[in-house]
Amino acid sequence: MEQQQETVPDWKTDFPYSTVETLQVTRRQFAKFLCLVSGGLAAGSALVAIKSAFFPEKEVTGEHFVCNRTALPVGGTRSFTIAGSTIPYILIHLENGEFKAYEQKCTHLSCAVFYQAGTNKIMCPCHNGWFDAATGEAIQGPPPRPLPSLQVIVKGDEIYVTGHPKNS
Amino acid sequence: MSNFRSAQDKAHPNKSSTLMLAIITLLILIVALQIWLLYTGLNNALTQHADVALIACIVSVLLFVAAVGLLYFLPGKRR
Ligand code: FES
Repeated sequence: MEQQQETVPDWKTDFPYSTVETLQVTRRQFAKFLCLVSGGLAAGSALVAIKSAFFPEKEVTGEHFVCNRTALPVGGTRSFTIAGSTIPYILIHLENGEFKAYEQKCTHLSCAVFYQAGTNKIMCPCHNGWFDAATGEAIQGPPPRPLPSLQVIVKGDEIYVTGHPKNS
Repeated sequence: MSNFRSAQDKAHPNKSSTLMLAIITLLILIVALQIWLLYTGLNNALTQHADVALIACIVSVLLFVAAVGLLYFLPGKRR
């Protein structure tokens, strides 16, 4: 009986392996893995570049009616979407009388943003990010980019929005 | 025939260990740079600056080539 236990089982001679090799990562393997990560990051950068060069976001074209001027008191806001797209926008009547329209999507992780009446700032409640309501610039917190904006056109009593003219 | 590889295999283990650490340090540096490039490229692409994304992509690919090139100098397996 004892002799039987001591003999190496057949499968071990067929598939020899060393415990150390299966449990530990060598520095060679680690270096190769870092190379793989490097390749992945390069591929990611390439995807970003291709996407932005050949498939850019569609610009908003044409003028879109939002609401009547009288429907939006000073300091008030109104959410709206543009026909044919699902992006939420927000129209703000600033205290200085100007109208501004921004995407209502935080540039950090896409939470809805809100205008804080009286402060001239747009706030994202998710991670306490703040934007300048006059320019859309990110002024505090995690958002890395300004809020994308639309151009507002006031025609008499009616408010329209349109995309920014291409700056080329 | 004596070449780079056979000379390297004969080097003292301390030497190949130092070389190994140097290569891994460089690789980590490269990966860190690439993470930053990807982040910057993405942010600029989303603000309609495709040119920055393109340059970030080119540099990132070059860094990847450099990383693969470094693997050539990895000391061989211990025997
Ligand atoms: S999603 Fe707006 S700050 Fe994070």
